[in-house]
This record gives sequence, C-alpha cells and structure tokens, in this order.
Amino acid sequence: MTHRAELADLDDDELVARPFDELVVALQETVQGLEAGNVGLEESIELYRQGLRLHAACETRLRLAELTITELGRRGVAGAETEA
Amino acid sequence: MAAEQRSLWEGPTPEDEPSHEGPPEPPTAPAARLTPRILRVTDLNRRVRSLLDSDAVLADVWVEGEVSQPSFPASGHCFFVLKDANSQVRVALFREELARAVVRPGHGMNVIIHGRVRAYEPQGVYQLYVDSITPAGAGDLPARYEALRAELSAAGLFAEGRKRPIPRWPRRIGVVTSPVGAVWRDITNVLRRRYPLVHLVLSPSVVQGATAAPAIVRALRRLYVERDLDVIILARGGGSLEDLWPFNDEQVVRAVADAPVPIIVGVGHESDVTLADFAADLRAPTPSAAAELATPDASQLATIIGRLRDRASLALTGRADERRRFVDAEQRALARLAPDLGAARQRAADLLDRGARALGDRVERRRMLLAATQDALRTLSPAATLERGYAVARAFDGRILRDAAAIGSGDALQVILARGSVETRVERVRPDRTDELLA
Repeated sequence: MTHRAELADLDDDELVARPFDELVVALQETVQGLEAGNVGLEESIELYRQGLRLHAACETRLRLAELTITELGRRGVAGAETEA
Repeated sequence: MAAEQRSLWEGPTPEDEPSHEGPPEPPTAPAARLTPRILRVTDLNRRVRSLLDSDAVLADVWVEGEVSQPSFPASGHCFFVLKDANSQVRVALFREELARAVVRPGHGMNVIIHGRVRAYEPQGVYQLYVDSITPAGAGDLPARYEALRAELSAAGLFAEGRKRPIPRWPRRIGVVTSPVGAVWRDITNVLRRRYPLVHLVLSPSVVQGATAAPAIVRALRRLYVERDLDVIILARGGGSLEDLWPFNDEQVVRAVADAPVPIIVGVGHESDVTLADFAADLRAPTPSAAAELATPDASQLATIIGRLRDRASLALTGRADERRRFVDAEQRALARLAPDLGAARQRAADLLDRGARALGDRVERRRMLLAATQDALRTLSPAATLERGYAVARAFDGRILRDAAAIGSGDALQVILARGSVETRVERVRPDRTDELLA
C-alpha cells in the first residue's frame, strides 16, 4: 500500500505530476484495497474517492503526454531540452 | 629533399635515387649549355605536377597494398605509406573521405585504394590521393566476423544468463543513433504514438564509416554515466555489410555488453545480425521494433486504468462476480502488455503489423471505453448504493456507525438517505444480531 499512502495527501496538480507508472500502481492498490472486503464503508468511500482521483490523474497524463527529448553532448553540457 | 639544394646544371649524382621519369626535357639542352636556364624549385615542382596531372591513368587508379605507419594529425586527415614487397608510395586520405571510408587505416592492413596520383609541390613529392579505401578482399569480413564472434562468445559476452529483463514502464530511455535521418525519426514517431509519457535522452553518434565505431562507444559511455535511465536503445537503419560493420567492432560489442541498464540493439533489417545484437539484453529486428519493445502501449494502458475504475465501482457495490470478470480481463491485458521476448526475436513483421492496427483503432476504442466507464460510474457510485435503499448513520461527531454499542440512548444521529438526511435522537439501543433483525 506504499504508493497509495504516499499519494493520498497530494492535491490534484501534484498527483498529475507524479510518474505515470506510480499512479497506475497506486490505482491498482486502491482497487485491491476496496476489493479485499475488510474495510468499512467509511474507508471504502475514501478509497473510492482516491481511486477516482488517481484514475483522473492517469487519464490526464495520457491525454496531455508529450514526448520529452534531451540531447547529450552539445558542448559537453547535458540538458538543452528540445521538443522535436 | 637534398636534390632541391643543388644547382640543376650540376647534373645527377650517383647517389641520387634512380628516376624513371624521362619526359620533362632537362633544362640543360645543348643550346643552353653556356647560358643554362635556371628554374626556381617552385617552377620545377609545378612542371612535374602538371606532367602528372596530364596522365589519364594516374588520374584514376586502383592500387592494392599494405598500410604502413598511418598517422592521424589534428587536422582530421590521415597519412600513411602504402607498400608491397618492393616499393612504397605516400598516401593522403582527407577528412571527408576518411569519414566515408568503411575502414580506418591500420598498420599492416591490406587495402584497395581508388584515387589519383598528384605531386605535392611544397615538398616535391608525389602522393596517392584517396577517394575510396576498402579492405582488400571483402570476402575477408565474414571470416573476421566469425573469429570475433567465437572469441567474444568464449569470453561469455553473449551468455543468455547475462540478459536482463526490459522494464515494463520505463520513465527515461537513452538512445544512441544518428540524429539525422530516418531512424531517429522512426523511433520518436513510434514513441509519440505508443508511449509519449517517456523522456528520451539522445546521445548522438555517427553510425557509418571508419569513425563510427569509436563514436558509438563514446556515445554509449556518455549514456552510461547518466542517472535514472531505465533502458538504452542502440539503433541504425539498414545497409550493406560494410555499412553495418561498426556494429561488429570489438570495442562496440564490449561497450554494449558493459551497459549498466538493459540495452536493446536494433540494427538494420530483420535478417541483419551483428555481434552487438548478441551482446544486447534484447535484440530488436529493426529500430522501430526496438522502440516498441522498450515501451508499453498507452492505448492498452487506457483500457487497463478504465477497468480499474470499473473494479473500484463494483467493489463498492459488492458485485463480486462482475468484479472477477474485470480482474480476468485486466490480467489478460497486462499479460499482453509485457514484452514477448521470444516472439519479438522471430516475428518483427507481426509486431509492426500489430502496431499499425493498434494505431488505426486506438482513438475510437479509447473514446468508447471512456464513455462506458462513465456510465458504469454513474450507476455504481455510492449515491447509487443509497438509491438502492441503504442508509448511512452518522453520530453527531461525524463517525459512521456500524455497532449499536457505540451509541447511547438520547444521542443525536444523522441518517443519510439517497435524497436528503434525517436528524434524530436514539430512543433505544438493541444489541441484537444483525442477521436476526434483517430476517
């Protein structure tokens, strides 16, 4: 449950900025938590709410994703970010 | 040259090198004996040069010989002596031709050179100016390939046990290839449509000609000190055996084997197998396939996260059988997502085909899925559960009640219904068993 716990306190903007794979794993953990059946209604609703937020963050990431490209070796300095 | 310091009319001395060039009339013609025509050294050399330049054979010659003592000064050019058992000739290989050459001249190497012979006036020498240089007998290459393959294989560089799995969800991918040309464009195109979430780090390199092998090694090493790379792709488009030769270079193969993170090599076409391919963690049949093998397909990810949301809804409303169906479907989707290494090695065409099909219906599929999950969500949300007759009982402090013992007579209660809520006080607490009450 580590991913989910780490992400639980983030607001929506911070959530969207997290690595995509982390969001998916957290969403998976959230769903598994819901399905485990050993949580009460209160926690279920909270988990569900978190799941929706994570799902929305994943959707946003997929929708807005743009390939980032960095080229090495330009005068020996790494970094100059260019959108190809 | 010593000859340049002597007056011309002194004539040749016995220790002078034998000269086979007859044509230029010596300036000491009989009529000029008393008043010799004295040439400046520059004039002499110019005359020799124009003589050589006028010879059609020397302007277009093929010469085979052995390279001796090549030098690579800072100018980027290369100079060496080409020799056989009896003779030698000076050779100049300029930077542009060197870059195009399939071999970098090495001492003792047998080569075939095409070029022209000219005089170099400032030094009074004639040289062979190269426009192409190839190893003598290209039939040599397969033998060298086999020898090196056997050697590196024995050294364990190609062992199956060294091969690492490719991470399923890479965040940063390093790429070594030429920044100009179709390969880099193909890789970025594949990743843009397939997994644009990734950050590409390009370490550019020349991938053809005599300078390619050391350049590829440098480009790889630059990536090896980068932080947080998940996987590296080394790629080059198709070409002749000579074009792909740098990928059979021992230093390149060893550098591939040295990769600190999993490395995928995609060179040439399906049928081209270089030694670098053997040293890679995964061999991709083409550069585009390398990009596909390095990443999951985002269109499938959209499906998976949509299913996860459906499962969340189902879990909340307790519809276990439907939930199980979704779990199965998701697991199947995840299984499909994992790079299928065996098939990838053998069936590039299938991969590319699948990629093309996925591209075709991806957008539509994703749109339909989103609509479906929104519908599911609407009917299965907590509000819908209340709509089905459930109610939530909350104590005055906001606690949700699940045990009658947690509340006493006279306490305030809020009962949340599908529409609105009721505020009330507890009349009596009955710690009966729930199933008896519902019976």
